[in-house]
Amino acid sequence: MDFPIFHIDFIGNRMLIAVDAILHVIINHALAVGALPVIALLEFSGIRTKDPRWDRLAYRLLKVIFIITTTVGALTGVGIWFSASLINPAAIGSLIRVFFWGWFVEWIVFVAEVSLIMAYFLSWQSSGRTPEAKLKHLRLGIFLAIFSWITMAIIVAILGFMMDPGNWMSERTLISGVLNPMYFPQLAFRTTLAMVMGGITMICLTYLFTRNDLPFRTTVLRAISSWSGIWMLALIIASVWYYQVIPQHMLANIPVAVTTQEYVSWNSSLKWLLTIGLSFVGWVLWSSIRHPGQVHGAKYLASVLLLFAMLGQFERVREFIRKPFIIGNYMYANGIRVEDYPLLQRDGILQHATYAGIREVTADNKVAAGREVFEQTCTRCHTVNGINSIRGQLKTMYGDKPWQPEVIAAYIENMHGARYFMPPFPGNKAELDALCVYLASQQKRATAFNGAQTNGIPKPDKISASTVYGTLPNLANPHGEQQ
Amino acid sequence: MTAPIPRDIPLPLPAPEGLLEILLIAAFLVHILFVHLMIGGSMFSLVCQIRGLKTPDYEKLAYRIMQTVTVNKSLAVVMGVAPLLIINTLYTPQFYASSALIGDMWMAVIPLVTLAFLLAYAHKFWWNHFLNIPELHIGIAALETVLFLVIPLIFMTNVNLMLFPEYWPKVTGFFSAMLLPNVLLRYLHFVSATVLFSSLFFVWWTGRKTFRIEVQFSELRVIDVRRFFYAFAFGATIFQILTGLMVFVSLPAQGMSWEFTVLLMLGGLVVLPAIWWMWQNLTRPGHLLDDNFKQILTCFACAAIVMGIARHDYRENALEDHKAAIAEKTINYQAAVKEASEEAQLAAIKAKETDITLPGATAFNQNCAACHHATLPTVGPALEEINAIYANDPAGIVAWTKSPGKKRPDSMKMPGFPQLSDAELMMISQYMLSH
Repeated sequence: MDFPIFHIDFIGNRMLIAVDAILHVIINHALAVGALPVIALLEFSGIRTKDPRWDRLAYRLLKVIFIITTTVGALTGVGIWFSASLINPAAIGSLIRVFFWGWFVEWIVFVAEVSLIMAYFLSWQSSGRTPEAKLKHLRLGIFLAIFSWITMAIIVAILGFMMDPGNWMSERTLISGVLNPMYFPQLAFRTTLAMVMGGITMICLTYLFTRNDLPFRTTVLRAISSWSGIWMLALIIASVWYYQVIPQHMLANIPVAVTTQEYVSWNSSLKWLLTIGLSFVGWVLWSSIRHPGQVHGAKYLASVLLLFAMLGQFERVREFIRKPFIIGNYMYANGIRVEDYPLLQRDGILQHATYAGIREVTADNKVAAGREVFEQTCTRCHTVNGINSIRGQLKTMYGDKPWQPEVIAAYIENMHGARYFMPPFPGNKAELDALCVYLASQQKRATAFNGAQTNGIPKPDKISASTVYGTLPNLANPHGEQQ
Repeated sequence: MTAPIPRDIPLPLPAPEGLLEILLIAAFLVHILFVHLMIGGSMFSLVCQIRGLKTPDYEKLAYRIMQTVTVNKSLAVVMGVAPLLIINTLYTPQFYASSALIGDMWMAVIPLVTLAFLLAYAHKFWWNHFLNIPELHIGIAALETVLFLVIPLIFMTNVNLMLFPEYWPKVTGFFSAMLLPNVLLRYLHFVSATVLFSSLFFVWWTGRKTFRIEVQFSELRVIDVRRFFYAFAFGATIFQILTGLMVFVSLPAQGMSWEFTVLLMLGGLVVLPAIWWMWQNLTRPGHLLDDNFKQILTCFACAAIVMGIARHDYRENALEDHKAAIAEKTINYQAAVKEASEEAQLAAIKAKETDITLPGATAFNQNCAACHHATLPTVGPALEEINAIYANDPAGIVAWTKSPGKKRPDSMKMPGFPQLSDAELMMISQYMLSH
C-alpha cells in the first residue's frame, strides 16, 4: 500500500472502523430506515382517528430520532469514511474511483434526507391542525422515509460489490459494479431487518412514553407490533434468499468468522443461538399483537438488544467472509492488489513501498527490516500487542516454547492454504525471513509499535523520490530526463 | 528538500478532471458558508447570552440564534460530504498521506463534532432548564463554541499539509503540522470570515418582518440589535482584509503565480464598494442599514467565489509537479507489474513442464505444510512423528483429518478441511507417509 501507514496498536485498526460502522448501521436501521415509516403511520392514525394522542406520541418519538440521527448517526457515517481512509486508503480510494457517481447521488439523496427531517420535525407544531394541513405535513414524513431507504439502497450496492465484484472485473463500469450478484438479496435482507428493528425500537420507546395512559398504550402497541410482525415474516424469506447467494467459499469462512479461530466448534451452537434469538423476537411480537397490554417492557428491550447484537454479528460475519480480500478478487485485505503480487514477490515489497525506511534486508538489519515488512503487510488487521495481536496469535500457536523464526516462516509461507482468509505473503524470501526474525523477537519484550501519525515518515531516498522503475524504460516520459 | 512520490490508484478518474474541479469549488463554497453560519451562530449566541445577564432581551435573542445553529450545523455536515468525496478522488495520494500523518487528530474530528452537536441540542432543548444556573447555561454554550472553533483548525492543518509533500518527512504528529508556516494565519483569516458572514446573515435575519413577532423584546429595539451585528460585520471585513494580506505574504512560494495574485487582488477589489456602503450606513444620518444590502451581499458573494477559485488555483500550482511525477510513476509501476506478472506466468508454465514432484506434494504444501514441518514440531506435530504413528495407514490420516480432535494439551486443535475431497486427502496422506 503506497500511503503512510496509520496504525493504532491498542484497539487495532479493524476495531476502530468496526465500532464506528456498527454504531452507524444500528442507528441507520433502527432509527432511520425502520423507524421513520412507523412515525408516518402514527401521524396518519392521528389524522384518521382525530385522537391527538397519536400525534403527540409520534412527535416525541421523532424528537428522539431527530436528535440521535443528526448527531451520532450522521457523524458515524462520515466517520466510516474518515476511518476507512486512514486504515485502508488503497481500498477506499479504489472504491471511490468506481463508485464516485453512486456516492455523488447518495450525497444528493442525503441532502434531501437531512432537509426533509428538519422540515418534518421542525414544522410539526407549526404546520396547522386542520386535516388538510396535517396531510400535507404527513407527505414530508413519507418522502423522508423513502429517501432514508434510498440512501441505504445505494450503500448496499457498494457493500455487495466489496464481497463479489461480479462482472465489474471484466467490464469495469459503474452499473456492472452496482448490479453485482449480491445486490438484491442483501437489499431485501437489510430492508426487512431494518423494518423489524425500527418497529421494535419504536415499541420500546412507546412503552416508555405511554406509561401514564395504559389503554392508549395497548392500542398503539398492537398497531406497531402488527406492522413489525408482517416485516418479520418477510425477513425470514429474505434471509434465506440472501444466504443462498453467498458464494460457497465464503460460507466456508463462516465458522471462523462468527467467533475466533479457537472457538470454531462453537459455530453450530451459535447458529442455534441465532435461531432462538429470532424466535424470541417473533414470540414477543406475536404475544404483543394478541395481548399488547400484558407484555412486559423488559421483553421489548431484550428484543431490541438481541436484534442489535445480531446485526452487529451479521456485519462482522459479512466483513469477515469476504476475506482474504477487501475487494473480492481484486485487492487483498492488506491493501495490495492481486495483480501486484508477482512484482512484489520478485523484487520485495520494501523496494516498492514509497514510505518504507529500509529497502534491503541485510544480516544486520533483520529486526528493523522485519518491522517495516510487518508494517506494510500485517498492520491493517493485526496489532503487536492490542486486539487481534500478533503476539497473541503466535502464543496460541507456539505457546511458551521459544518462537523460532524458521518455524514461523514455514507457517506464513503456506498460511494462505491452511487459513484461506489470510492473504498470501506479498514479499520475497529475504523479507519473509526478516519478518519472522522480527516476530520472534517480540516474544519476550515487545517494542511499542507506532504509526505514521506518531513517527512520521522517513526522509525520501532514491526510490521514494524517483519516478522510474529498475531497468525498465521510462514509459510515461520516454524522452524525458532520468531523475 | 525533496518530496516522496507515491503511486496513484491505477484506476481512471470517474469524470473529466475539470468537471470535478468545478464541482469541488462550488460544493466547498456551499459547505463553508454553512460552517461559518454554524460557528458564527454559536459564537454570537454565547455573546448574547453573556450580554443577557444584564439586558434580558439579549437572552431571548441568544435563544433565537441558537435555533439557527442546529439547522445550519446539519447543513454544514451534509454539505461537507461532497467536497470531501471530490478531494478524496482528485488528490488521493496527497490527501490520504496528510490525513495519515495527523491521523489521531483527524480521526478525533468525528467524536469532537458529535460532542459539539449533542451539546448544541442540550443547549437548545434544555434552554429553560439551565436558565437559572448561569454557570451551566453559559458554560455549555462556551464549551460548544470552543469545540466548534477547534474543529476547523484540524481541517485547516490537513488541507495545508496536503499541499506541501516536501514537508511530509518533517512532520511528526498533528502539532508539528499545525505549526507549519501559514496554518495559524489562515485559521485567523477563516475565523474572521466566520464573524463576517454570520453577522451579515444575522443582519438579514433580524430584518425579516416575522422576527419582531418571534422574539418579542420588552425594551430592546430591533434596530439596535441590527446595528450590533452590522458593526461586527464591518469590523470583521477590515480584519479579514488585514489577515488576508498577512496570509498572502506568508504563503509558501510553491503555489504562487501571477494568475493567483491577480485573482486575490480581484477578490479584494470587489469588497471595496461594500466597505464604502457599510461605512455610510453605519455613520451617516439618514442612511438605513438595509440600503444597498443586496449589492453588499453580491460583493461579498463575488469575493467568496473569486477567493474559492484562487484557493483552488494555489492548490493546483503547489501540487502541479507532484501530480505529474505521481502520474509518471504510476504508469511505470504498472509496466513493471505487467512485466513481472508475465514473467511469473512463463515460469509457472515451465515449472509445470518439468514438474517431477510426487502426486500430493502440491496439495500438501498448500494445505498442510504451514503447520506440519518435516522435522520440527511447530504448530502441529512434525512429519517424522506423524509417520511413526500412522506408518502404512494413510486411511487413518484421512479419517483424522475429516474429524480432527485435540490430542496434545499444548497444541491448538487442527481445523477441518471440508474443501478437500476424499481422493485428495488420500493422495496427501500417501505423500506424507512416503516422504
